[in-house]
Amino acid sequence: MPKWFLPATLLCGLMFAISPFVIANAPFESTMGLVQKVFYYHMPSAWMFLTASMVCGIASLRFLATGNARYDRTAWAAAEMTVLFGLVTLVTGPLWARKAWGTWWIWDARITSSLVGWMIAWAYLILRRYGGPGSEKLSAGLALFGMANVPFIYISVTYWRTIHPATTVVPKLPFSMGFPLWFCVAAFLLLMVLLHKLRVRVAEQQARLDEIYLSLDEQH
Amino acid sequence: MTTLLRAIALTVTLAVSAAPLLAQEQPKQQEVFTPIDQLPPQEQLPAAPLLVGAYAFVLLTLFAYLITVSRRLTAIQQEVNRLETDVKRAGKS
Repeated sequence: MPKWFLPATLLCGLMFAISPFVIANAPFESTMGLVQKVFYYHMPSAWMFLTASMVCGIASLRFLATGNARYDRTAWAAAEMTVLFGLVTLVTGPLWARKAWGTWWIWDARITSSLVGWMIAWAYLILRRYGGPGSEKLSAGLALFGMANVPFIYISVTYWRTIHPATTVVPKLPFSMGFPLWFCVAAFLLLMVLLHKLRVRVAEQQARLDEIYLSLDEQH
Repeated sequence: MTTLLRAIALTVTLAVSAAPLLAQEQPKQQEVFTPIDQLPPQEQLPAAPLLVGAYAFVLLTLFAYLITVSRRLTAIQQEVNRLETDVKRAGKS
């Protein structure tokens, strides 16, 4: 692993250990009260979900264009990040909504398109796992659909009727609420980079293992 | 048979005549939106369990994934090292 990995891991662990205290010091939102504090983990995880989906799509596009296996490994790892952070988003959202909206789930444009994006990432992983030879190119094609879905998720609150807060909320936050949010965004981003690096390393070692087995087969 | 028919007719008549009464007893449909903080206490949900549940789920899920990936990496690296050693030994002999 690169030299920066261990210090970055320690920093990330420290940030996650501090984050509950930073969040606890943030003021209560006037209408939703205590439950609004789910926002400080929900929103960063949602951003990581969309970022990972974009990384998966871009890496898949480059893999399809160049055939370089490095991009394929990057895309595969990013698809796992999409599933992971998508799960966190889709679970924390209903826990917040139950109190704030009075319902666990509504089929509005943002939640539905997020669920579709998450299922595309699952389809990518299932195809990679059970698709057999050639599945990497089929999966890469699927990842492009996942990437194309990201702008729809982002703009869905602007163009369709929904009870989700608009995208203009974040820039208008006061410092006392903005600081905990950006602190958590930095922690989640660092965590995603570290997990992605670790997952790419697994894929690299797996490729190395396959090479060794192939050379042993050729020797026999 | 006649008694049975009479009993059925009586049951149906009672059911039909009672239907409007039952309908009247249903609560009135709510016509206005009630803000969540103005709900009566028995209808309000406690926020703390939802908040704690959300944070616990996030941290446990991320930690579980970290452990899973670390274990996968360790297992593959051990296998790579073992095979590389075997290949080197085979090359020398």
